[in-house]
Amino acid sequence: MSALVLISVLGVVLLYLGLFGNRGLLAPVGIVGLLAAFVFFAADWQLENALFAGLVQFDTYARSFSMVLIVVTVLLFLFGIDYYAKVRENVAEQYALMLFSLIGGLLITSFSNLIVLFLGIEILSIPLYILAGGKRDSFRSGEAAFKYFVQGSFASGFLLLGLALLYGSTASFDLPAIEAHAASIGTGTDMLFLLGLFFTIAGVAFKVAAVPFHFWSPDVYEGAPTLVTAFMSTVVKTAAFAAFYRFIGHMQLPEAVHTMLILMTVCTLFLGNIVALRQTQFKRLMAYSSIAHTGFLLLAFLGFDARTPDVLFYYLGTYALATVGLFIVLTLAKRAAKGDEHIHIFRGLFRSNPWLAIVTMLLLLSLAGIPLTAGFVAKYRVFVLSLANGYLLTTAFAVVMALVGIYYYVIVIREAFTPGERGLQLVVAPLNWLVISLCGIAVVALGVMPGLLRM
Amino acid sequence: MIVALLLLIPFITALALMFLRPTQQAKNVALISTLASLGVVLFAWSAYTGGTVIHYNMDWVPAWGLRFVMGYDGVGLLMLILTAVVFPFIIAAGYGEKLQHPSLVNALLLFTQTFLFGVFLAQNTLLFYIFYELSLIPVFFFLLYWGGEHRRAITVKFFIYTLLGGLSLLFGIIYCLGQGAGFNGDFATIGALNFPLSTQIWLFWVLFLAFAIKLPIFPFHSWQPDTYAMAPLQGTMVLGAVMLKMGLYGIIKIVLPIVPQGVIHWQETVIVLALIGAIYGGIIAFRQSDLKRLIAFSSLSHVGLLCAGLFAWNSYGVSGSLYQAFAHALLVVCMLYISGAMKERVGSSEMGAMGGLKLRTPRLAALFLLVLVNAVALPLTQSFVGEWLMFAGLWQVNGWLAFAAVSTIVLGAIYMLFAYQRVMLGPDKWALEMTDATTRDHLVLVPLIAVTLFLGVYPGPILDLVDVPVQQLLSSLSLN
Repeated sequence: MSALVLISVLGVVLLYLGLFGNRGLLAPVGIVGLLAAFVFFAADWQLENALFAGLVQFDTYARSFSMVLIVVTVLLFLFGIDYYAKVRENVAEQYALMLFSLIGGLLITSFSNLIVLFLGIEILSIPLYILAGGKRDSFRSGEAAFKYFVQGSFASGFLLLGLALLYGSTASFDLPAIEAHAASIGTGTDMLFLLGLFFTIAGVAFKVAAVPFHFWSPDVYEGAPTLVTAFMSTVVKTAAFAAFYRFIGHMQLPEAVHTMLILMTVCTLFLGNIVALRQTQFKRLMAYSSIAHTGFLLLAFLGFDARTPDVLFYYLGTYALATVGLFIVLTLAKRAAKGDEHIHIFRGLFRSNPWLAIVTMLLLLSLAGIPLTAGFVAKYRVFVLSLANGYLLTTAFAVVMALVGIYYYVIVIREAFTPGERGLQLVVAPLNWLVISLCGIAVVALGVMPGLLRM
Repeated sequence: MIVALLLLIPFITALALMFLRPTQQAKNVALISTLASLGVVLFAWSAYTGGTVIHYNMDWVPAWGLRFVMGYDGVGLLMLILTAVVFPFIIAAGYGEKLQHPSLVNALLLFTQTFLFGVFLAQNTLLFYIFYELSLIPVFFFLLYWGGEHRRAITVKFFIYTLLGGLSLLFGIIYCLGQGAGFNGDFATIGALNFPLSTQIWLFWVLFLAFAIKLPIFPFHSWQPDTYAMAPLQGTMVLGAVMLKMGLYGIIKIVLPIVPQGVIHWQETVIVLALIGAIYGGIIAFRQSDLKRLIAFSSLSHVGLLCAGLFAWNSYGVSGSLYQAFAHALLVVCMLYISGAMKERVGSSEMGAMGGLKLRTPRLAALFLLVLVNAVALPLTQSFVGEWLMFAGLWQVNGWLAFAAVSTIVLGAIYMLFAYQRVMLGPDKWALEMTDATTRDHLVLVPLIAVTLFLGVYPGPILDLVDVPVQQLLSSLSLN
């Protein structure tokens, strides 16, 4: 409760700071406030408290995800200090919008009433529509904002329809009541309920960019300012997956929904990985790699057992760390290349900036899932989970797709380590250097000692 | 202690080389490190009394079923000896190479050695897999940076090809871990898995694919010749002498215990494939005009034979295969070293450009001949012992297969002698002075040749080492 209030107030404070021209204070105040919120969450660890008459349930699950969301936002704010250093206008608004979006994220990781799910997703999304258009003079940024807005509204419509149908068949928005209804149906059919589930899942799947609800993601990722892209692919994705699991994790799903999930997983894995092969623009590559990772995460959704939340938590946490680091490297390289985003801008990075190249390699290896990085443990655990639940062929398919994934990450590594060429001279601000190194070290540390990151 | 030393000596040296960049002393430092590792391994060998020695046995992340178990048995020790013996010579071969950034080269080689030790020390399937994949990474960068023509494409092909096998293996391992039945991934409990035959039949290929690519056996070999030919000399040595032995080791340690019936079911198929590769490699080797490519294809041929011998699954075949694995490692290093020495003098490894070199470099010619004798498996050489055992093993399976296997020896003799003729004999094309074998050449080649000849006369030490584990392995096979 206190953390939610704190972050909301923090956003308003930042707006005022911006109004009175204290630009230098924006990020530090934001970071201190977020860390305070983190402490509030940590202090209540293990407590179960229901807020707002049971609409929101802050349990260990919600609290762990909330803390990850806050940490990732802090990292992004640290990056923001350098990122917004040259921007004159509306910086305070951007920070504040990210905080508001974060509130939405916190709500959907902890909802226990579907109204809150809808509200949370809207609170999460509406600031993002504005943020995606953050570069006002950029055509692509405007396109991204508009595309995201139109498709996002469409998804919200789906979600709302789904919720209404669920209400129609269960007469309640409370998650426990809906779970009880699902259990009472058993193997029978309740068309209204089934359709409700379909549409609701579609609405959530839009946020995690699962095929066939992924069309927005490459364009929006490419057009939005890099910091916002990083925010979308980490904070938003983590929150949406947390919400997804919260929604269906304890529900006895009808067979048809299962089939839908399997199809969605297979298509997401296939499309994300295969299309990523053809990408030459790094940001688009990251967009498709993000879709591919959605596929691996969905694999964990095929069958649930006690390990699932922890597996999701580990996967999303480590994925966010690697992604934040890579987007910072991209920003630096893009700046040195005067706006170019082709993967060629990484060429010869090892000679011009060895440490940065090594960290980039570690982050990419983690996304690829090579042993001793966190990404390997994350994938390993997802595979263990889905095999334990008996999805032999789907898992085999995912393993093949993991191989395809390795290919496009290795291509980028190869660029960075191309011999004989001196790459662009990147200017690395000390804070950025710190964040990137932190991500790189964390990815290896969590790969060697995976027990460190758990619920 | 032994395990920790083996992992830490090369690893710390590599880190030091990478960050301190002592360009002048890099090769010396690396050489000292590999010699220290060799000392540790020899000490372990002298202290070894049989059975499986476990040094560490602990949970890594208990909740997720990750365990950290390190140790070795006879077969593992043989592989450790092989790695430790070969690496000082690989580092020494670098003295003749003019590669840029010697400290990085040696750091990558030492990283590779660390992970190879890790592979042979791991006593848990998942730990084995982790080291198995890790060993690829330094090699990837080594090839990417110091490789020859088309290195960018070939390196990625090699990497992806090998990872295809690796991921397939991972899938298999996870599948086995999920089956419970008292199996926690440790080699000690690996026999507890008792899959029905129908499962074993497909699971065999899932597990075997990784090692089939690594070795490589026909038809999974297409990455190998290009990679071997393109790689810098030391890279080819690492790949050919040590890394492919991981395949052999993996088959013995993982494939056989998990799917014994699958192994028997596919036995003849694998032998036939392996022998096709052996004969095909021999024929292609004969057609090569480049000495290094010739060695690459001859390696393909030898490895096919190794795999065929192993899949005889009787004590002759398995011991012979392991023995020959050791012989092959030394042989590959010698052969490649000589091709490097010729390239140093002539400027390319094209055999068409050579000829008559015996007149200019008689000592080197003599050393080459001694290596050649081992390569064609003449009696009293190490290869003869290994190959004879493998033929005897194959004979017990099927006479015709043994016949096909023996024909590779004939092929080997043809292409090796033909190569020698083109390089060393004939008219003197090079009417200019050329340095004969230097002290360094002698220091590398003479000890290796001496070992091969000694073990050719007295194979006892190595055969004793693997005898007990092989017997255990085979008895487990007959139990099933």
